[in-house]
Amino acid sequence: MSDNNLIEGEGYSVEHNPGTHVVSFNGTMRLKTSADYAHINTLLDRAYQETGDDEKLTLDFRHLQFLNSSGINTVSRFVITSRKQNKASLQVLGNQDIYWQQKSLTNLQRLWSNVTIDIQ
Amino acid sequence: MTQVQPTQKVYGAWQQIPVTPSRQMTVDAQQMAAHWRRCSLSSDFWAQYMSLFIPTRVTEEYLGRGEVEQVLAYLLNELFENCAKFSNGSHQLVRYVAWSQDDSMLFQVTNHILPEGQAPFAKLIDEMLNNDPHELYFQRLEENVELDLDGSGLGYLTLIKDFGVQFSFRFRPQENGSTAVDVQAKVSLQQE
Repeated sequence: MSDNNLIEGEGYSVEHNPGTHVVSFNGTMRLKTSADYAHINTLLDRAYQETGDDEKLTLDFRHLQFLNSSGINTVSRFVITSRKQNKASLQVLGNQDIYWQQKSLTNLQRLWSNVTIDIQ
Repeated sequence: MTQVQPTQKVYGAWQQIPVTPSRQMTVDAQQMAAHWRRCSLSSDFWAQYMSLFIPTRVTEEYLGRGEVEQVLAYLLNELFENCAKFSNGSHQLVRYVAWSQDDSMLFQVTNHILPEGQAPFAKLIDEMLNNDPHELYFQRLEENVELDLDGSGLGYLTLIKDFGVQFSFRFRPQENGSTAVDVQAKVSLQQE
């Protein structure tokens, strides 16, 4: 099942690697409500707290096929709350073969200038 | 063709299309909500099905088959999720219809709400269709954090601003006391 750094659901997983400060998203994540995303929010917040002020936390979406608008809201909310804390910066990795990532991931940079976007 | 009835209320560029295609599906909203991944399954199926209208090779000005499939999967999932979440009252039928047009595809998804649900949804629609979608999107995200809200309308706004989807909406009061909500989504097959 899951430890603190791994969330596995039907068709998706989210994993935090505390050594490399990377949170990886995999599969198709289309949960019903923001409440259903709460445990992912908790993992993201903890990953941010565990990243040093001069370090960078990476959100790796390269293996995430789909994310619904509730999920985009969750990730956006995390970027905004990180901006308010203004500690570690964020790096976002995307996949150029996944169309929504090409189109939508850059929105995260509009929320906070300390977000870098790398679509590979 | 069919005239809009006086009790009906339309928002956006509604298309009256006389011919109903064979590409349609009816499902039960409560069943969709209870078995949530059916929204995802249905959207991925219809996205793939409709994308097969796209030739394997297209010129640069058009979206490729894979791109169309991904846009449709995103769009239809949001529409089916909305039907599953927001259908209200005794009438729980959801109807999906799709048309393939010259340079676009048109989708219509219908669900039913209680009459009192119309005004708040119409207010959201008015705001979406009459404001800059980019500004409204970022404003909503910030408000959601400030006020600890769920992301109402964010799915539509993402589809409008990032994928160029054009929405129109129609409310039709029914004799059984419910109100049918028809959402039309037009997807251009040309690159932006």
